[in-house]
Amino acid sequence: MNDESAQRMPRPDPRAPRGRVLDAHLHLLDRQVLDRDGTPVTTIDDLELDGIELGARIEPGSPAPSVAAILTGPQLLMRIFGGHAPAARRISIPWKLVASVGTTVRLGVGADSLDASWVERWVSRHIIGRIPGGRHDPE
Amino acid sequence: MILSDLLGSDALEADGRRVGGVVDVRLEISGAPAQLLAETVVTGVLVSPRSRVSTWGYERRGENGPVVIARLQRWLHRGSFLVSWDDVELVDEGRVVFRDGYERHDPMLPPAPKT
Repeated sequence: MNDESAQRMPRPDPRAPRGRVLDAHLHLLDRQVLDRDGTPVTTIDDLELDGIELGARIEPGSPAPSVAAILTGPQLLMRIFGGHAPAARRISIPWKLVASVGTTVRLGVGADSLDASWVERWVSRHIIGRIPGGRHDPE
Repeated sequence: MILSDLLGSDALEADGRRVGGVVDVRLEISGAPAQLLAETVVTGVLVSPRSRVSTWGYERRGENGPVVIARLQRWLHRGSFLVSWDDVELVDEGRVVFRDGYERHDPMLPPAPKT
């Protein structure tokens, strides 16, 4: 087997994983995000990665990029149709608020503290709350 | 950078030869400890020679059902491989360039932890 064909045969990754291994698209995109009480907050439309500079050569030994935030809201349309929402229009949930990753992604904070749930809070306060009986549980 | 900018990019060797499309990005929850979860770092990119999209990931999991879909997906993504992030030299709009002498690794995911 010559050198070229040896390179084309995928080899087992010699680096043993040091933590839970995930594939971003397979395990994270479109997953539901729940707050610390199990209340649905949003779904993961995209992820923001820190440490990758477009067009810049990556020096060997540079620190690996990391996941900075979960993006939601208009980001789904950008993912499907292309383009970019201005940074100011992105609704993001910092990755440091994530407590666990499984079938769903659990946050360590309540939904009320997040920008991602402002639409639901607004509708609840200004529309549902004005309907008679809309401010308490069904009796 | 946004993840979706990376997905679907052309995967190129150092001499500019296209070897496939970036179908996913491998992550590891193994970085610096944080209050809730350790930092999640990028450890590699998954490349499929024949497609830019991999939805169900049959080519990197041991799942076999439904068998018709599993076989079709494995056939579509035959020859997929993982390139370590250390072997990535450049990320630009629509392309990811690997270093000269990069290695192709088996794309299989380690078994999920038992819950």
